[in-house]
Amino acid sequence: MTMDRAALKLKLKELLVSGLRLQDTEPSAIADEQPIFVEGLGLDSIDALELVVLIEEHFGIAIPDEEVGKSAFASIDALAAYISAEQARAG
Amino acid sequence: MNRVPAGHTTAGAAVPVVVTGLGTVNALAHATAAFTTALRAGTCAIGPVTGFDAMGYRSRIAAEVKDLAIPTWLPSPLRRRASRSDLFALIAAREALADSRLDVAAAPTRVGIILGATTAGMMSGETALFERLEGTRRRYTKTPLLGMPMATSADILATVFGCEGPRLVLSTACSSSATALGVALDWIRLGRVDAVLAGGTESMCRTIFAGFNALHALALEPCRPFDRRRAGLSLGEGAAVLVLESAEHAARRGASAHATILGYGMSADGHHLTAPHPEGVGAALAMRRALARSGVAPADVGYINAHGTGTPLNDGIEASAIRQVFGPAADRVAVSSTKSALGHTLGAAGAIEGLTTILALRDGFLPPTVNLEEPDPACALDFVPRTSRPADLHYALSNSYGFGGNNTTVVFGRA
Repeated sequence: MTMDRAALKLKLKELLVSGLRLQDTEPSAIADEQPIFVEGLGLDSIDALELVVLIEEHFGIAIPDEEVGKSAFASIDALAAYISAEQARAG
Repeated sequence: MNRVPAGHTTAGAAVPVVVTGLGTVNALAHATAAFTTALRAGTCAIGPVTGFDAMGYRSRIAAEVKDLAIPTWLPSPLRRRASRSDLFALIAAREALADSRLDVAAAPTRVGIILGATTAGMMSGETALFERLEGTRRRYTKTPLLGMPMATSADILATVFGCEGPRLVLSTACSSSATALGVALDWIRLGRVDAVLAGGTESMCRTIFAGFNALHALALEPCRPFDRRRAGLSLGEGAAVLVLESAEHAARRGASAHATILGYGMSADGHHLTAPHPEGVGAALAMRRALARSGVAPADVGYINAHGTGTPLNDGIEASAIRQVFGPAADRVAVSSTKSALGHTLGAAGAIEGLTTILALRDGFLPPTVNLEEPDPACALDFVPRTSRPADLHYALSNSYGFGGNNTTVVFGRA
């Protein structure tokens, strides 16, 4: 299953807000290129672990290690690109 | 050379310790001032359970904390992540610290934390398990599991308030946070710390609600301690945190005291996993030890905040234990149960009731036993039925007894 990139990004933003309980944040207020962690959305290392689980649950895609996580979780842009690439690779 | 015993001044007296900060969240109120008003008004906060689906349980009532806003002062990850019991502890601790005006940052390694707990963030763990079993989540999520262990509440307080002294979460069942106050007193007397955030926290959970229901320990109507028709307890939730410090430390920084904490006594029934000893041997021993260590005579005690759960067994045995210890003075001491107003908060009960006892001493009133209509002639003490009364108190006790025969009594004095 592939998704239009814009729809994928919106879904990721909604997933961040609901899955990580960012009640005070509107999904649309998250910029595509904004850093997700620390200075960006104020997420920490425990949120990173939660996000790994959420991505696996919703897209069936694993984040195998910290190195991959670091680049994939850089921003919504990076995460959408990673998911699209993994989906394409899986055919 | 004569050596000074540990915890004593060179003059041989026990190091005086005072309570300089009070904080609480419970079903009656979300801060101490409003709690005092509700106590004096004789309000009962026990009602239908709303926190989870209670259909199918024998008793479906409890005293829940309602409409609690997530504090905006909490750092973002905690605002999103703190379990309900941790949130209670955070709010109570912040109130107590602000009240005491203790500057933790001035000597962070000299400020300790001791909390009593029984089930802590069990509710979070239950939710994670249910989501997994029901298939709503295919994997466990970390957040609720992190909020589950007992140690988390003290970890979070230390992190948020910058306390770097010794830290302990202890459990002696339903007397846990009374024991926490006692151990805090010891720490200060032994000079290990200057001040301690001491208290307890507890949030309702399905496991405990089911367990007490299965034991038929829960009343179908709001509990009525010491009443002839009492039929069990009502569960509650909340937290209380006290700032305890040596009187010398408080004086040096110009802090005023709500009360003094004079001593505590502990004992074990060594009898049964749930039933108290039929003669109240352990309960009486805890009171005797607490009085002896505090140097207070029974005749000088004006008020006892009873364990007073409202179960047929506890109340009769506690009344008898009070009579054993106090003798003829039992007829002149007022005894009441705060659990009639805000339920049995288990791990938080000792701290909330200790705080209640301090308010009684400080403000000169006897908190009532709410819902008490027909005092049980077998108990026969002054239980301050339904309405609070003014009283000039000098010393007061707070009794806490836990399943398994965990007895702790704490003695407080007017500042």
